[in-house]
Order: sequence, then structure tokens, then C-alpha cells
Amino acid sequence: MRLLLRFLRPHKKLVAITLLVVLLDNTGTLLVPTMLANMVNTGIATGDFNHIVQGGALMLGASMLASGGAITGTYLAARLASNVARDIRDAIYERSLAFSNSDFERFGTGSMITRSLNDMNVVQQSIIATIQMVLPLPFLCIVGIFMACLIDWQMGMLLAAVTAVVMVIAVVTIVNAAPIFMRLQKLIDRMNVVLRESIIGVRVIRAFTKERHEERRLDEVFSDYASSAIKVNMMFAGVDAASFFLMNIAEVAVLWLGGNRVGAHAMEIASISAVLEYAMLILFYIMAAQMVALTLPRAKACLDRASEVVDLVPEIRDGADAAGAAKGAAADARGNEAVAAFDHATFKFSDADEDTLHDLTFTCRRGQTTAIIGSTGSGKSTVAKLLLRFHDVTDGSVSFCGADVRTMTQESLRDRIAYVPQKAWLFSGTVASNLRFGNEGATEDEMHHVLEVAQAGFVDELPDGLEARVAQGGTNFSGGQRQRLSIARALMKHADLYIFDDSFSALDFKTDAALRRALVDETRDAAVLIIAQRISTILHADQIVVLKDGVVVGLGTHEELMRDCAVYRAIADSQMKGGAGDDQR
Amino acid sequence: MTSAKHRDDERERTERDVELEERALDGADDEPQAPRDTWGTIRRLWSESRGQQWRFAIVIVCVVLYTVFSVAAPAFSADVIDTLWTEIQASFAQGRDFVVTWDRGGRQIAVYLGVWTIAFVVYSIQTFTMAGFAERLNLMLRNRIARKLNRLPLSFYDSRKPGEVVSRATNDLDKMSEVLQTGLLRLLMAIGSVIGAVTMMFVYSPMLACVFLVFSALSIVLTRLAARRTLLLAAERQKWVGHLTAAVEEAYSGRVIIRAFNREGASSADMRALTRKLADASRRADFLTNAAAPAIRFVGRVSQVVIAVLGCGMLVAGRLTLGTFQAFFQYIMQASEPLTQMSMTVNTLQSALASVERVFDILDEQEVEPDPTPELAAHVEQPVCGRVAFEHVRFGYDPERPLMRDVSFSVEPGQKIAIVGATGAGKTTLINLLMRFYEVDGGRITLDGVDTHAMTREELRQNFGMVLQDAWLFDGTIEENIAYGKPGATHEEVVAAARMAHVDFFVRTMPRGYETRVANDAENISQGQRQLLTIARAILADPKILILDEATSSVDTRTEHAIVHAMEALMHGRTSFVIAHRLSTIVDADLILVMEHGTIIEQGTHAELLAADGAYAALYNSQFM
Repeated sequence: MRLLLRFLRPHKKLVAITLLVVLLDNTGTLLVPTMLANMVNTGIATGDFNHIVQGGALMLGASMLASGGAITGTYLAARLASNVARDIRDAIYERSLAFSNSDFERFGTGSMITRSLNDMNVVQQSIIATIQMVLPLPFLCIVGIFMACLIDWQMGMLLAAVTAVVMVIAVVTIVNAAPIFMRLQKLIDRMNVVLRESIIGVRVIRAFTKERHEERRLDEVFSDYASSAIKVNMMFAGVDAASFFLMNIAEVAVLWLGGNRVGAHAMEIASISAVLEYAMLILFYIMAAQMVALTLPRAKACLDRASEVVDLVPEIRDGADAAGAAKGAAADARGNEAVAAFDHATFKFSDADEDTLHDLTFTCRRGQTTAIIGSTGSGKSTVAKLLLRFHDVTDGSVSFCGADVRTMTQESLRDRIAYVPQKAWLFSGTVASNLRFGNEGATEDEMHHVLEVAQAGFVDELPDGLEARVAQGGTNFSGGQRQRLSIARALMKHADLYIFDDSFSALDFKTDAALRRALVDETRDAAVLIIAQRISTILHADQIVVLKDGVVVGLGTHEELMRDCAVYRAIADSQMKGGAGDDQR
Repeated sequence: MTSAKHRDDERERTERDVELEERALDGADDEPQAPRDTWGTIRRLWSESRGQQWRFAIVIVCVVLYTVFSVAAPAFSADVIDTLWTEIQASFAQGRDFVVTWDRGGRQIAVYLGVWTIAFVVYSIQTFTMAGFAERLNLMLRNRIARKLNRLPLSFYDSRKPGEVVSRATNDLDKMSEVLQTGLLRLLMAIGSVIGAVTMMFVYSPMLACVFLVFSALSIVLTRLAARRTLLLAAERQKWVGHLTAAVEEAYSGRVIIRAFNREGASSADMRALTRKLADASRRADFLTNAAAPAIRFVGRVSQVVIAVLGCGMLVAGRLTLGTFQAFFQYIMQASEPLTQMSMTVNTLQSALASVERVFDILDEQEVEPDPTPELAAHVEQPVCGRVAFEHVRFGYDPERPLMRDVSFSVEPGQKIAIVGATGAGKTTLINLLMRFYEVDGGRITLDGVDTHAMTREELRQNFGMVLQDAWLFDGTIEENIAYGKPGATHEEVVAAARMAHVDFFVRTMPRGYETRVANDAENISQGQRQLLTIARAILADPKILILDEATSSVDTRTEHAIVHAMEALMHGRTSFVIAHRLSTIVDADLILVMEHGTIIEQGTHAELLAADGAYAALYNSQFM
């Protein structure tokens, strides 16, 4: 709820005007019955047709006020709701960008999408419904009773009593129905889950010949749902019938009492209809408000889910003295040989028992290639993520050009690192728009150059060249092509450190070799960090870090490691065995 | 630990895909909204509701009675007002005040109350009856779907998205019951009220009735226009929802890159542009949807003003009594809302019928050929040895385009068979045929020399155990999941199986141990642990023949080790078909089946295949050097 207030605040004026207009609509609606009564009363009393026409004109005016108010109110409410939904969506997205990977995984992509799309749609519809059906209710009741009092105070009291009873029924219904509604919602979810399970798991179910069992499980959730649904339906049928009956009693009471009051000269005959009409109006609005009120818990749940995202303080924040530190680091960037340094760096996921990386110490130097090798799950990719500050070390430190990365702003840090992620993901658009990721103002020549270095000459052969269309994720390119484009994108950036996270895996040996040769010139003035599984890719690195289960078990050149490091030798053996003896190529 | 390491794993992708599908379905209001065969579907629905039909009969009787009484009521109220007014005028003429007594107005009021009370009673009977009717019919159809799901061939599932089938059994049927409950009743009552009310209006004053009809025609036209425009705007909004969903999904998938390249600002700006477009579109759609009603009501109000002025004139001229004047207004209320809403109600009824048709479509789907009766079925001798042979097997998912033309191989008891091939090479096809998820088009598959086609599916499948990569667990406790293949297994047996599967320790670290619930969306159990649990399940079921999917790279090293060991334990002494990703598995397999485009292109041992220097040799070398 706090979230909603926060996002309504910028639209304070719109909220005020909307409410005002909605009240105008209600006022118009409430004026009509009294005007009609007056018209008939004076008509009967005087027999003057001019009066009647005048009365008609007044009614027309009130109707126009009501309908004009209603239409304008609808527009304003739609505008307010869509603006609020838009703002929350923007806030969710912007906050998500500041999340570390762990922060983000807490929600997961699917849930994040639901939060910003479906949830906000529910919120938006609820805002509209609340403005139109719930907020004006007290005003409508009070003014309706007031108008009845103007006709005759006893009639006003009668109407007040009827309103009070209907209100009580409505409140009791909401209190009782809300939990059943929630349960119904859960049962619907459960029905979906069990159905989905029995469809996705159809092979396992049949393999174990558990068809009967699944059938029973399904029947059970279906029955649970049906009995709850029938209960809800019965309850509403009850409310429906009760208000129907109440209306009858009220009507008869109005007729009886009205007859007496007219007989006592306290009011006039046609005003009986006006009072009846007020009773109907109030009943109708209370019922409508009750239906809306029942949907509000769901909207609140949606809002809460949004606040979970918006209010989550990102795990990784820019350092306090960020600006100064970044500048300092930049100043001695040229002279400093050590571009990236791990100093007893340890990293553990908050919900894990063991360190993913433990006590890592090594340095990436300018002009040198550092390679990291290890089997799947050895924590290789996490090394890159620590450098980029997608995660922060839990112990020890990572420094970049002499400054602890935690003292820099994330922007200034990432500005100086070019990163090729393990998964070669391209954005929908064109080849050029993807390359510009690395350098906004790149010229075509620069693009052609990096494509050449990245062995992505195939782009020139595409009919549209640099303007060739790229589908979401780059799925219209082969794995190898995607990888080369992803490398080209990183090379667009002039960085101090180039990180290639398992970026050559989909390339055949020849392309791999040619690419690495071309890279040498390109990255001469920078440090290079290659993360790989294939030994052939890193054979010539200046230093190789061997990781096993998050611990450095070897550090040195290929020759040194072949001599001293058993783990490295085991990897090499397994990869070169049966490889037709081309290990030394 | 471990689950933390590889969170961007396959599971998340598939779950997200499913969820996205779902969303696409939610938005898929472009599914056919009009039934193909309105009356045919209605007739069928009627015959499906056998046993419930008496409820419907009661409802119809009640609706008729309700309509009669509610149309009669205003006429009685006219009598009340006229009586009161006459008595009051008479009293005033004598200079006396007037008080309602039984003889002076009271009786008329009581009659009026009686009329409404009867209307109330039949209304209540009908609402309560209908409250149960629709849901019971619904439940019956759902139960039939549940039974149907088990008799549908696998090809049904493979050609449809899960969300689509789920939606048949949930959304479509809910739509039906909602419409039956409110829409249908409303439509029936509306027809009755409109006819009755308009007739009464003509009785009171043909001229005023005509005025009413003219304005009503105008509002019906307006409603139609608005409805058409609403549909267009809703589609427009849906379009932007689609664009924004795609953009958000893409940005979340590529968020690491966005951040690594400092593109947060640019990306947010793109997103803002889209959320703005969506806000504009939804403002327009919401406005029109909600503004149509007041606009139409305005026409109604104008007509009331015109009728009020004319009616008041007639009242003054003595051509209309005060009672009939106000009764006329009651009839206007009774007739105008239903008249304008009628076309809307008909639309929802039609779309509900279309939903029902989709449900019937599933119920009418072709089922798997029935198993031979137990007496006629072939049996293998127990205990099964585990000798499997493919003999000249011909198969294609589309019989017109066969994938396997003539595949033969045979497997001795206890042997290990590795199945290799690129993603999409059809490795699951082999499993589909072995387990008879699909039937062969030609040739035969034998188990210990018996044609599997002649056996009951149940007997055949009893001999197989499966551990697939997308480990399927159901929403129940860990213990229930492990014991899935052996109902009635003791706790000790479950624990022993878990221990053999190297998952016992993990389970013990869970807050509620073996009683921990496995929720499909919960992150408490990683992909690797899930696979271990399914291995435990297979161990407990103790089948003679195994079908295994090796762990993928999405599992961390320690779990991977655990899986390898668990699988080795499981394979011991059993015939095993292994979908292989790992060098070691392939190298020591007794038989390697190399698959491509859904068929087996090479078979032999590692050495034989390398020597042959064919597809396998190429695959092996590309992968390992």
C-alpha cells in the first residue's frame, strides 16, 4: 500500500480532479429523482405545462452533469491508473538493473516478467474500479439520505436504516467471502499445478503405470475446487436473495410510511417514488462496491510483489568515495602493470554451505594473457563475475588498476572491461545495433575491423551486411556465429581488460586458432583473461590458473603445469586421448 | 550447497518458457470465439448434463414464474399509488389527515408485497439451484478429461503446449460455468422482462412506449459501435503487452550484458518508451470500455426526460394516473438495461460455447489402441532377463515421412548401450519406441524374444525404469516421490534407495527431511538433486532394464560425481540404455548407437566406430579435441 501512495503522489492533482469529477457524476445522478418528483408534484398541483417543461430542462441538465461527469471521470481514472502502472513498471525495471545476479535470482526471470506485466495490469484495473465504484460510495450514501431528508426527515431516517442494514450485509459478506475467495484462488492454482504435472510428466507416469493414481489425484483437486466454488456460489446466491428480500420490505415500508407522511401534509405524493429510487441507487452501489472490494486483496498481493522488487536494496552498491577512487585509479592506469588482482579472494553464495571460490590469488597483467581452466562447476565463470562486480567477494579483495573494485562505481569499472559472456546472447535489432553496444558512436569502418578480427566475415556475405536483422537472443545465427558476433561486440570497446568466458567453445579448431592470433594485435595494450575448458585454447597463455572445486590447484605456463600439476595433466590427458595425436598443433 | 552455483540452468529456462507460453495463452483471446456448431454443441452439452437436467427444469420453471411476477409487480404498485392518492385526496377534501389502514391502501400494499415475495421465492430457488448445477456439470466434464488424459497417445502431448491443455480443463470450463450461472439466466430473464415490460408500456401508453423504443434502438446501435471499437482497442493494448513482454524478457535474459556494457540508461529509456506506449493504449482501451456504459445511459436518461415531460403532460391532462405514470418508469428500468446488454450477453454465451467445443474436441481425440485383454496378451517369463532387440523397425512421427526405415540391433542382458547424437538427433525417439509411447510402423521390438506390441503396456513398462534429464517430481513429499514406483514401500526402503542414490545426506539437510514438500516452482531443490531423487525412485522400483539420461553441464561437479556414482550403482546387473554426454560412458559401452535425423546411422563399439572413421569419429573428435 505504501508503494501505491508513493506512486500516486506525483499525480496528486490528477487524483483530486478525478475524485471531484466522479462526485459531480454522483451529484447529477442523485438530483434527478428529486427533480422528477418536483416536476410531477407541481404539475399535479398547478396543471401548468410550462412548469413541466422547465422541470424537464432541469432534469436534462442534471443528466448531462451526471453523464458528463461519468465519462470524464472514466477518462481521468483510466489515465491515472495507466500512469501509475507505467511508473511502477519503470521503477521495477530500473531497480532490476541495479540488482546483482544473486538479487535477481531471488525472483527469477519468469516471476519478474509477471510482476511487471500481469500484476501491474491487475493493479491498474483495480485502481479504475476503486475510483469509480468504491471511493464515491460514502458520498453517495450520505447525499442520498440527505436528499431523502429534504423530502421528509422520517423518510430520510427510513432510508438511513435500510442503508445501514445493507452495509452490514455487505461487510459480513466481504469478511466471509474474502478467505473463501483466496482459497478458491489457491485451488485454481493447485488445479493448474496438478494438471500441468500430469501433462509434463506423462512419460514417467506411464512408465510407472501410475495412470489410475494420477486420475485420482486430479479428481481430488477437481472435487475440492467444485465444492469450494459451489460454496461461494451459494453464498452469493444468499446475498443476492437477501438483498432482494430486503428491497421488498424497504419498498413496502416506504409506501406505507410515505402514504402516512403524504396524508400528514409532510411531503408530496410523487416524492415516494424519489425515495424508492434513492433506496435502489444506494443498494446498487453498495453491491457493486462489494464486488470490487472482493477483488482488492488480489490487487494488494500484486502490489506487495512489486514492492518486494522496488524496495529490495541491491546487494552491490557503488563505493561511498566512488568518484575519487575511480579517478585515482584512472590516473595511474597507464603506469600500472597489474590490471586486475585477486588477493585471497573468497566467494560464497549466501545460501550455500561451501565457498564457490576459495582463497584465490593471482594477477592479470597488461600485455599478458591469463587463462583459467577447470571442469564444469569449478567456479571459473564466477571469477569473471567478481571482476565485473556482478557478485562481491565475501572475503579477501579484488582490485582493478590498483583500486579495490568495491570503491569504484560500477559504471567506471565496467567501462574499462570488455566482457564476452559464456552464453553468446545477442539483442534483437541489427548486427550494427549489437556492435554499438560496445561503442555508441562507432563508425562502419571500426565495425568492419572488429568483425574481421573476430573472424565474423560472414556478416559481409549477408544481403544486408551490418544492417542484417538479428532475432532475440541471436537465434537466427548459428552458435559459432553468435559467439563470434559476441566477441566482436566486446572488441568494439577499448578496454584495459578483456574477459573471454568460454567464448571459443562453439568454434572449430581452425577458427579458434585464427581468432586467437588476430586477438593478439588487438589486445596488445590490455590484459586478457580467457576462461576455457579446452586446453588447446589456452596452450600459449602467459599464465594458466587451474581451478578445482573453487580452489587454485596450479598456476604457471602449460609446460610448468604439465610437469607439476596433476589435475592439469589429467585434464590434458582426457582431452588429448584419442584426439588423433594433434595435441601439439 | 551446490544449487547456488548454477542457477542460470536449464530448468529455469524451461520453466520460464512454460510461463511465457501461459502468458501468450492468457492473451490469446483471438482463439475462435464463435462456436462451429451452436445447436450441436448445445444438444451435446444438454445430454452431457444427464442426472442434472431436473435442476435445469426447475430453473426454467422459476425463470418463467419470476418473469411473470416481476412484470406484474409494477402494475400492482400502480394500484397502490392510485389507491393511496385517491384516499389521500378524499381525506384532504374533508379537511382530514390520512393514515394508511388495512382497508385504506394497506390491503393493496400487502398484495404488492405478496407479488414481490413470490418473485423473491422463485428467484431464490433458481439462483440456488443454478449455483450447484454449473459446477457439478463442470466437475463431471473435468473428471472425464482426467480419464481421457490417460488414454491419449503421446503424440497428443508432443504436439501441444502443456499450457494449452491445462487451459482447456481450467479456463474454458470456468468460462462455461460462469456463463451458465449468470449469463444464461440473465439472458432468459432479460428476454422475458423485455417482452413483458414493453407489452405493459403499450397497454399504458402506446405513444410513450414508441418513444422508449426509438431511444432504445439508438442505444443498441451505440452499444454495437462501442463493442466493435472496444475489441479493436483491446487488441491494440494486447499488441503492446506483447511487445513489452518480449522486450522485458529479452532484457532480463541479457541483463548481464546490459550491465557489463554500461547500457542501463539506454535500456531503461527503451523500456520507458514501451511502457508509455502501453499506458497510452491501455488508457484508450479502459476509457472506452468503461465510458460506453455512461454514454449509453445518457441516451436512456434523455429518453426518460422526454417521457417524463410527455407523461407529466398526460398526467395533468388526466390521460394517465399517477400510479401508472410511476409504473411506466419502473417498466423503463426493467426493459432498458437488458435490451442494451442483450448483444453483449449473446457474445459471451457464444464464446462460452466455443470454449465448450474446445473441451469436447479433447474428449473426442483419438485414444491409444486398447491393450489386448490379459488372456490374449503375450507374457514374458519372470524374472525377465533383459534381452532387447529391434527387428527391421520402421517408424516416423508422421507415417508419410518415416525417420527410421529399417533399424535392427540386439542387446544382451546386462549390456550397456550408449546413445549419442547432436541435440535434436532424435535420441528420445528410441525411448519412445522401447516404452511404446509410440507404436512402430513396421518391424517389431522384442523383450526376451516376445513382441512388445502383443503385451499389455502395463506388463511391458513394469520391466523398465527411466531417469530423464528434466527430472519429473510431483507436488508431494520427497518420500512420496521416491516411493512413486513402489507403492507401499517402507520408510527404510526409501531411505536405503536414497542412500544408494547419494541423496540421503542432502535430504537430511532439508528442514523436514523426507517429509519436505517438493514444489515445482520452489528453488529449494536443485536440478542435480532432482535427478538424484529420480535415480532413487528408479532404484526402489528395481526394474530389469534402465533408460538413463546423463546429467548435463548445468549440474555442479560434486553433484555430477554423485550422479555418476549413483547411476553406476543403478546400472549394475541391468540392461541400460544411456543417453550419453560423457566420454567415459561412450568408451566402455557394449554398443554405441549414433543417431541423426531420428534414425540410427551407425552402431558398434567405440573402437569399431573410430576405425570406421564415419559420423561418430567426426563427432568424437570435434567434441574432444
